[in-house]
Amino acid sequence: MPEPPRATVGVMGWLHQNLFKSWVDGTVTVVVAAVVLWSAYTLVVWIFGAADFTAVYSRFKLYFVGQYPVDELWRPQLSLLGISALAGMAWRRWRDSNRVGVTFAAGLVLITVVIALLPLQMGLLNRMMLLLNPVAVAGGYFAMVIPRVGADRLFAYSMIGVVVVSLFIIPGATWIPGLEAIDAQAIGGLMLNLWLAVIGIAGALPFGILLALGRRSRLPFVKMLCVAYIELIRGVPLITLLFMSRHILPLAFPGQFSINELYLGAITITLFSSAYVAEIVRGGMAAVPNGQTEAARALGLSTWQTTLTITLPQALRNIIPPMVSQFISLFKDTSLVFIIGMLDIIEMGKVTIQGNLEFTEHGREVYLFIGLVFWVLTYGMSWVSRIIERALGVGQR
Amino acid sequence: MMRALQVQGIPIWRNIVVIQWTMQVLSAVLVLTLVGLLFVNISSEINERQIPVGWSFLDREAQIPIGETVIDYDPSDTYLDAFIVAILNTIKASILGVILATALGVAIGIARLSPNWLISKLAMAYMEVFRNIPLLLQLLFWFLVMLSLPPVREGYELLGAFYLNNGGLHLPWASPASGFWPWLMVSIVGVAIAIVAARLLQSREAETGKPSYPIVVAFVIALVVMVVAFLVFTPLSFHTPEPMGRFGRLQGGAKISASFAALLLGLVVFTSAYIAETVRAGIQSVSTGQKDAARSLGLTPLQSMRTVVFPQALRVIIPPMISQYLNLTKNSSLAAAIGYPDIVSVATTLTQTAPAVSLIAMVMAAYLVMSLFYSAIGNIYNRFTEIKGQGA
Repeated sequence: MPEPPRATVGVMGWLHQNLFKSWVDGTVTVVVAAVVLWSAYTLVVWIFGAADFTAVYSRFKLYFVGQYPVDELWRPQLSLLGISALAGMAWRRWRDSNRVGVTFAAGLVLITVVIALLPLQMGLLNRMMLLLNPVAVAGGYFAMVIPRVGADRLFAYSMIGVVVVSLFIIPGATWIPGLEAIDAQAIGGLMLNLWLAVIGIAGALPFGILLALGRRSRLPFVKMLCVAYIELIRGVPLITLLFMSRHILPLAFPGQFSINELYLGAITITLFSSAYVAEIVRGGMAAVPNGQTEAARALGLSTWQTTLTITLPQALRNIIPPMVSQFISLFKDTSLVFIIGMLDIIEMGKVTIQGNLEFTEHGREVYLFIGLVFWVLTYGMSWVSRIIERALGVGQR
Repeated sequence: MMRALQVQGIPIWRNIVVIQWTMQVLSAVLVLTLVGLLFVNISSEINERQIPVGWSFLDREAQIPIGETVIDYDPSDTYLDAFIVAILNTIKASILGVILATALGVAIGIARLSPNWLISKLAMAYMEVFRNIPLLLQLLFWFLVMLSLPPVREGYELLGAFYLNNGGLHLPWASPASGFWPWLMVSIVGVAIAIVAARLLQSREAETGKPSYPIVVAFVIALVVMVVAFLVFTPLSFHTPEPMGRFGRLQGGAKISASFAALLLGLVVFTSAYIAETVRAGIQSVSTGQKDAARSLGLTPLQSMRTVVFPQALRVIIPPMISQYLNLTKNSSLAAAIGYPDIVSVATTLTQTAPAVSLIAMVMAAYLVMSLFYSAIGNIYNRFTEIKGQGA
């Protein structure tokens, strides 16, 4: 009698198919599982035993907003409220198709409320503003319910509004009444990373597209210029460009046009990333079939009309995944501004560990916390990109 | 061009040739003005503040100590020597990093495709964690871990040959002895014989159809020759680190400093996560029909992987892999944050006594040469592997 076939369905079937297919497979599974469980156990014991997170929670302000003046803290907090409202809007808008909005909204509410209730040194106003975040989420959610307002348009305009306002409100400027300019060194922590990343993305996308179009141009001089720029920038590490901007760019803006480190960093990161964006866009343009251009030309569209309405939109839709990973790289690269003396979240962690004797033994906790913050944000970005990709049906048309 | 301007009586502002030339001249004027303005500003500022420029500093004494060097270096050597030492340090970190990251990355990429659910998910977790955390943070973390190891006397020891402590890792090392060159000569001859034998066996296999194992035979010949010659000539002398004196300072062997160990660890872990993704995507890009065909011809899963799937995947894997190698080399500049004397780190120190403008130009030139080197490798590879008959 031959044996009956082994189960391939149910719990036992799954275990057999995926973990214990053969003796070798089974042994590997058991050994690896033992190592994983033991590591997890050690980690948990360490976190609840020897680890001391004082260096993390007693310095929350430094990690999130750096040495931003306490009296002006309402400015980044206002930006945060804007972001919460956006999360609420995203929750309502894509309630039925994905969980991005609700996850972001829940995360923001949880973090802000927990920080507001922690016994930290914080003014009453700042505590209240943190506690307003759930209200902002609700506000965003119900703003989307208002009838006869184009939901997508409302969301897009709100997003542009929040971004633009945040970019100006955080550093301030002498010419904006009520928003005095903040010292560049005082803008730090995660806020600095996010600010630089937003400026970098907003600047590198259009500039990179221009460079890509220039590289595809039939005008030899323009093409040569763009190729030289792209290849030069891509050949050197960002750190050397920052190094250069610290030493040379101030010389290019003499006298009254002095430029502070914040904008120096923002410009350098933008110029650096645009070369990479240009190459991604060029790849996307090359993948659009020639027939599209030919059809557009046959319909009588001009070169510019063809590019702007036919080839570029198709190219941009196809390059969402590499573009998002480029933006994730950009976000991670913002930590390199330590070279020009800015205190981003990582540098702040390093300074905290090295500057306080009582924390020298607990540096690992600090870096673990910062790593977690970065991981959540970058993983969130790639999650959103996967969902956009699916919604646009990339690879299905 | 004159003819193109005159034909058909097109008004001059709609003439494509005119438009293109105007655009070119306009953009040239714009760019040249901008560059000229920057240049004038910078040079006038340099004159005004009397910032030193030029290259005369290169043969002066650098007078800075460099912690670890590949070649002999002394603070009394010149700036140029210091810079070369720094370049060699970057190259050392890049070569070791590339080799280790490739090995680890390929292993993890294959593990990601394992039918074993646990191993596949573990590989995925590895990739998602280490790709999404900034390299700078990883370097700082590993450096902290290295520094929090016990001091020399209480350090870890393995087999009396490997020592790990907060100064770094000490391990046995071999240096060429008198018999090195004879051994190398004999080995080269052995390898040559092995290659000839492999060719002969290969053609025999092709003619008669009998399995002749050319690769196995060649390996055995080469190995036997090398081992026998090794025993005859003793080309290498081994020395292990040993604790000396009252403080147990380790002498002999090779030392990997704490900052170099942290740099290598960070670069390898970070880059291998990207390489793993490249390998996974490459293997999955081979159509399943290829695998099915291999199976139906009677190849085992391992044979089908080795002779059918992987060679085809390689074509997809290698180009992004080379750009990862370039990234690793450029990323090694983050060594400046943990005190390993690479190009950027040494140049930063040198700017205190030498013209920054010249140094920055040298640093950039060094990286550009390295990236040219990588793209040359990429081009050569592409030329050898492009699918014939499908050319653009």
